[in-house]
Amino acid sequence: MKNKTITIKELLSKVKNESFRPLYDRNTIKQISKDLEIFKENYLKKSKNNNWFVTPYTILGSEIPRELLYTPAQNSKADYYFDLGFPGSEPFTRGIHPNMYRGKKFTIRQINGFGGPEDTNKRIKYMLKHGGTGISVIFDLPTTQMYDSDDPLSRGQVGMSGVAIDSAEDMEVLFKDIPIDEVTVSLVTHYPSNTAILFSMYLAAAERRGLNFSILKGSVQNDITLEEVVRSGPEYIPPKDCFRIQCDNIEFIRKNVPYFNFNTLNGYNLHEFGTSGVTEMAVAVANAIETLDEIVNRGYDIDWAAERLAFFWSISSDFFEEVARIRAVRRLWYKIMKYRFKAKNPRSMWMRCHVQTSGISLVREEPLNNIIRAAIQALSAVFAGVQSLHVDSYDEAYSVPTEKSALLSLRTQQIIQEETAVTEIVDPLGGSFYVEALTNEIEKRIIDEVDQIEKLGGYVSAIEKGWIHNKITDYFYREKELIDKGIIKFVGSNIYKTDEKLQPIEVFNYPKGVEERQKAKIQQLKLKRNNEEINNKLNALEDACRSKKNITEYCLNCARVGCTVGEIFKIFKKSFGLWKPPLFI
Amino acid sequence: MINKTQKINNNKNLHNKKVKVLLSKLGLDVHNRGVITVAKLLRDSGMEVIYLGNALPEEILNIALQESVDIIGVSSLGGAHLTLGKDLIDLAIKKNLKDKFVFLIGGVFSIKDAEELKNIGFDEVFTAEVSSNRIIDTIYELLKNKGNNILKNNFID
Repeated sequence: MKNKTITIKELLSKVKNESFRPLYDRNTIKQISKDLEIFKENYLKKSKNNNWFVTPYTILGSEIPRELLYTPAQNSKADYYFDLGFPGSEPFTRGIHPNMYRGKKFTIRQINGFGGPEDTNKRIKYMLKHGGTGISVIFDLPTTQMYDSDDPLSRGQVGMSGVAIDSAEDMEVLFKDIPIDEVTVSLVTHYPSNTAILFSMYLAAAERRGLNFSILKGSVQNDITLEEVVRSGPEYIPPKDCFRIQCDNIEFIRKNVPYFNFNTLNGYNLHEFGTSGVTEMAVAVANAIETLDEIVNRGYDIDWAAERLAFFWSISSDFFEEVARIRAVRRLWYKIMKYRFKAKNPRSMWMRCHVQTSGISLVREEPLNNIIRAAIQALSAVFAGVQSLHVDSYDEAYSVPTEKSALLSLRTQQIIQEETAVTEIVDPLGGSFYVEALTNEIEKRIIDEVDQIEKLGGYVSAIEKGWIHNKITDYFYREKELIDKGIIKFVGSNIYKTDEKLQPIEVFNYPKGVEERQKAKIQQLKLKRNNEEINNKLNALEDACRSKKNITEYCLNCARVGCTVGEIFKIFKKSFGLWKPPLFI
Repeated sequence: MINKTQKINNNKNLHNKKVKVLLSKLGLDVHNRGVITVAKLLRDSGMEVIYLGNALPEEILNIALQESVDIIGVSSLGGAHLTLGKDLIDLAIKKNLKDKFVFLIGGVFSIKDAEELKNIGFDEVFTAEVSSNRIIDTIYELLKNKGNNILKNNFID
């Protein structure tokens, strides 16, 4: 971003619709506008309390004021070809594929991860057996924070809220007898640092199975936002080094694992952490722009690089807003790729995304209500034309989902696919006066926030300055107040509350003995490894970190000989030093 | 409901003593939205808040002593509440500090685990649905009831 003198907002304001073809007849629009004013006056006259605009307060909502009624008058500048077009064609507002779900249904990708690799392996197989069509794996706290299971810091947390992985061996066990050459695998690695480590272990495991990297399909997250902003951890490397690892991963994966999405820009965790739906997208887009700039600076062609970029969004409760948000960012991403990066390959203009229903919207009281919340959110995601979906389980207000509740989430997706017929029609809400007006408004607001970030000197700079940290704190503190006051409503919790005490529900119990098992495995691994080889590979990695070499390939060499997660992270800390993130409060 | 915040602010002027709170994420847990919200809430209500970030029980107790806090609040949403939570209380008992501080824990727990945390010895267990007022009221209630002499004289019943 730094090397461009013009911001996205300035650039896009210059993009003129050369051959404006109004969707609605000019005279008719004039008539409707007049009549709408009369309608409005009558409505407002009826009662003093009537407001034409109402601002919805919903969890993680954008607080965009809504009119009572939408007509062509609020879409007077609509141009079908310029704003919407056909699905699979520019500007891709209606979807990235011409036939959308008739061609390929959205991937049913429920996230899994708990206990040791053996435990999660069983759960993955269970989900696939019941009709899951994609795999998604989340790692436990020590693995995510890059400590080994035998580290004193890991005590009591091994296999908690994710699966414990210490080495490539564990990765082999995790995917044992699972056809990773056929099913797409999403590794929820979150940070650039642990993407370099864990994806290397995944590749080493695939290699040991005799699988060629060129057939592996899936995604990693690899997102600086997660490592430096949406995280609480004991040790952070500086943002600029983290950003470099993000780009090293991209470069390496693009060259060596061509069907893997090298970067899933994660709006989800940021949104859930505490930002509006607009900021969620503005930040991810700003991050994507800066990342692609760096890849281009490294000498690569934009079309070669960009076609493997993906996004991950959180879908919350304001039904139409969620549909409009996804459509808005799909159009905006196309514009950025076309006008800012001058991409030619349509694939690089696609905003492909995985989405997950909102975890923060789940409520402890009357937890079965969460089934309804997640189903409604999932439906809006499908109306928006997303590529892949996870539906949260109702018991996640208490713990990791049980097998039973995970199955219910899977079934929710299958009911939408098989029983409702909504997947037969592309972009079914396209053309709705309301949804189109909202899509335009949201796109405008995302551009405004991207503009703010660009003017701060770009995304990495916005992190270093604490801009994003402060924005988050302000947002979620205010949101807590709105919930306390009952302005943001949760049925059964702050509205229609019953006096009954919370009834215990069946919740997930973590398998026992995982920590001991993982510790024993590390000990065995360390006995059988070639220590000289280990030291050589770790030293080579340190050298790569300190020079300009691509660190990911050195991480792969470490993973191949049996280095552990913690050993590799130690090299990062030693080479880059530690960073103190801006104070939140 | 009596507004204790108001009350303590008045007393604060009399005794020039602020309630001091140490907040921490327990272990490696990544989720800090809740604890930051609580930190800001307590600070805005007139307490002095020290936020430690991620720490283990030993460090938490050491800092609590060093800073002479009244309250220790830990946050856990990652599933390690029973192990590390118990470690914290056990260590406090061992060091004879259990009565020196009010111990609070917040996070995502099953109903059974929330009860278990009270049995382990936490003075109060907070989950997501708790209101801001309730957190503040509980803190003053506990300070009073625990026989903690820091604040005992501040309350006129």
